[in-house]
Amino acid sequence: MTWHTFFNLSTMEHRHLLAAYIVVWACQGGYFGWIAWKWHRITNSGPQK
Amino acid sequence: MSRPSTLRTLAWPWLIGTLAVLVFAFRQAIFVVPADAAQGDVGRIFYYHVPSAMLSLVFPYINFLAGVAYLFWRRSDPLKALAADALAVAAAEVTIVYVTICLVTGMIWGRASWGIWWAWDPRLTAELLLWLLYAAYLAVRRFSASGQTPTIAAVLSVFAAIDVPINYMSIRWWRTQHPAPVFGGGPDAGMDPSMMPAFVWNIIGWTLWGAFILFFRYALEQRRQFVEEENALKAIEASLEIPQ
Repeated sequence: MTWHTFFNLSTMEHRHLLAAYIVVWACQGGYFGWIAWKWHRITNSGPQK
Repeated sequence: MSRPSTLRTLAWPWLIGTLAVLVFAFRQAIFVVPADAAQGDVGRIFYYHVPSAMLSLVFPYINFLAGVAYLFWRRSDPLKALAADALAVAAAEVTIVYVTICLVTGMIWGRASWGIWWAWDPRLTAELLLWLLYAAYLAVRRFSASGQTPTIAAVLSVFAAIDVPINYMSIRWWRTQHPAPVFGGGPDAGMDPSMMPAFVWNIIGWTLWGAFILFFRYALEQRRQFVEEENALKAIEASLEIPQ
């Protein structure tokens, strides 16, 4: 398989393969991003003065 | 809170190493391993679906053990109990991420290879039940106004943990739509040796990633607990300063 066939959307099999891999990276990356954003916010705000 | 810790020192090398393993594992799964003889390229979903499915049955036990530790320490050692509670909430969130991925990639794969998005198969239903149990767990934590929220959540984690062995055994007890187990499924189980490197690299990569986000979320929760305590102390101090 090549990058070209990985992004080939002409058949349902290839569309579903690409969709499954995107779902995994989007879920994991989204959750990681959410934790990093909360970490940044809580680090900058700290306890209330 | 600013003191350096071993975990914080390890965080960046751990993250970079994990991403390197995941990139290598992706290359193995997409470009190196030959296409499945029966399913073609769509069979490559296996390398992301199966590690997520396996890990979705591991993190609930971290949540369960942390919940039990919270119940054990909540009166005798409140600091340890708070740490256990932070680990429990981190493990619950990581569980729901992995279960969501398992369900969604399974549906996408099922539509392409079975022709259907969903079947009320014992394995699929047990996995959906696991998702619902952890959604309930996180909803209790988010919306309960009771001071007993961690205790209620810890009890709920026991029920969630009961679903895990049922989920694991479902494809051994009942034969329906879901394929038979690849590992530990008897003499006919197993995978072609050509698939093994891609599978092993992906299971290592997603395990390292899961452990990384678990500890990152745990550290965040501990920090949130610290800020909450500081704010409560400041509020008490401020109330004592009000002239009578």
